Amino acid sequence: MADYTIDETVDITDVVCPVTFVKAKVALEELDEGQLISIRMNDGEPVQNVPRSIKEEGHQILKLTDNGDGTYNLIVRKVGD
Amino acid sequence: MKITVAGAQKDFPGGLTVAQLIELENVETPEYVTVSLNDEFVENGAFTSTVLNDGDSVEFLYFMGGGC
Amino acid sequence: MAFTNEQLERYSRHILLSEVGVKGQKKLLNAKVLIIGAGGLGAPAALYLAAAGVGTIGIADADTVDLSNLQRQVIHSTPDVGKAKVLSAKETMLAINPEITVNTHRTFVAADNIMELIDGYDFILDGTDNFPAKFLINDACVLAGKPFSHAGIIRFKGQLMTYVPGQGPCYRCVFKEPPPPDAVPTCKQAGVIGAMGGVIGSLQAMEAVKYIIGKGDLLTGSLLTYDALKMEFRKIKLPRAKNCAVCGEHPSILAPFDYEQAVCELKH
Repeated sequence: MADYTIDETVDITDVVCPVTFVKAKVALEELDEGQLISIRMNDGEPVQNVPRSIKEEGHQILKLTDNGDGTYNLIVRKVGD
Repeated sequence: MKITVAGAQKDFPGGLTVAQLIELENVETPEYVTVSLNDEFVENGAFTSTVLNDGDSVEFLYFMGGGC
Repeated sequence: MAFTNEQLERYSRHILLSEVGVKGQKKLLNAKVLIIGAGGLGAPAALYLAAAGVGTIGIADADTVDLSNLQRQVIHSTPDVGKAKVLSAKETMLAINPEITVNTHRTFVAADNIMELIDGYDFILDGTDNFPAKFLINDACVLAGKPFSHAGIIRFKGQLMTYVPGQGPCYRCVFKEPPPPDAVPTCKQAGVIGAMGGVIGSLQAMEAVKYIIGKGDLLTGSLLTYDALKMEFRKIKLPRAKNCAVCGEHPSILAPFDYEQAVCELKH
């Protein structure tokens, strides 16, 4: 699988629900359409909920990687303005 | 004739004027009420001369000065 | 301007709303709202606008807190009795949200100060308790081109409307001039159920927020009336008066002026 070119990153491991999704949403708002963002999140509630919430907002989920240290990296392509 | 007053449809005798309606409806502070007939204001001086028709809609708008 | 984690948490319930988001919250933080009157209407409005993160809130009132206020003016508490209302209000607002700026104006509005007072604000809330002030605020806002929320409460009833320049009637279109002093009762004479201020004052804050974020339909061209005993809200369509003395085609009111106050409303 090809590597993605990431335009921005955001780390949401320092906050808890619902600020996890809020922080991700805020970072996505800053992007232009089509840009890619890598979101680092904790295992547990964040990885169970944030990817789904982002998808419900209409964005494209490209890849979710388990970092093996209790965190995950989610790569998202922004859809829409 | 049927007239809607403050959202409620009621029966009234024909030829009723706005002034007479105000009396019949026991409007509070009748000297200081604003009347809207079919979404247009009726001038205060025209209450006795404005005749109502079947199907008209009347609203009474009251001064409310509190905020205290 | 990036939000801190703390701001993201504080305003999270706003940012989650698609109608607000980051853009809307930034608009709120940059907005300036003036509340004239820190009483039954102004109190709840001020609480919600502070909580919402409106960046600059002005509050104007010359009164001190008295015991009879506490039944409904929920921004003031028992230890505040005797304190200037604007100071009491400011303390509560900053305790809710230390990030905002609260400007206190310890004064009554009059023709000689109103234009300067409203000048620095984007939206004005009429939380006053007398007709001369309500007409003064209306005229000043129309003349200055400022949007404002008008409201009134008494006994178990309340009503409100929103004026946006060019988008519908002003208060004077509907109620041409104040009734004579003492012709229509005030809360002091007739009473008012405490929560009425909360219902209507919160609606005023809601109108201000909607105006700032630019979403939803404002109460322009309509008077919302609430009868608590009948549990009825009604929205009454208001035409604009072409011959309105201040916003009509040929206005005769070109500057704010003071009407005579009712005897029992005269403050010391």
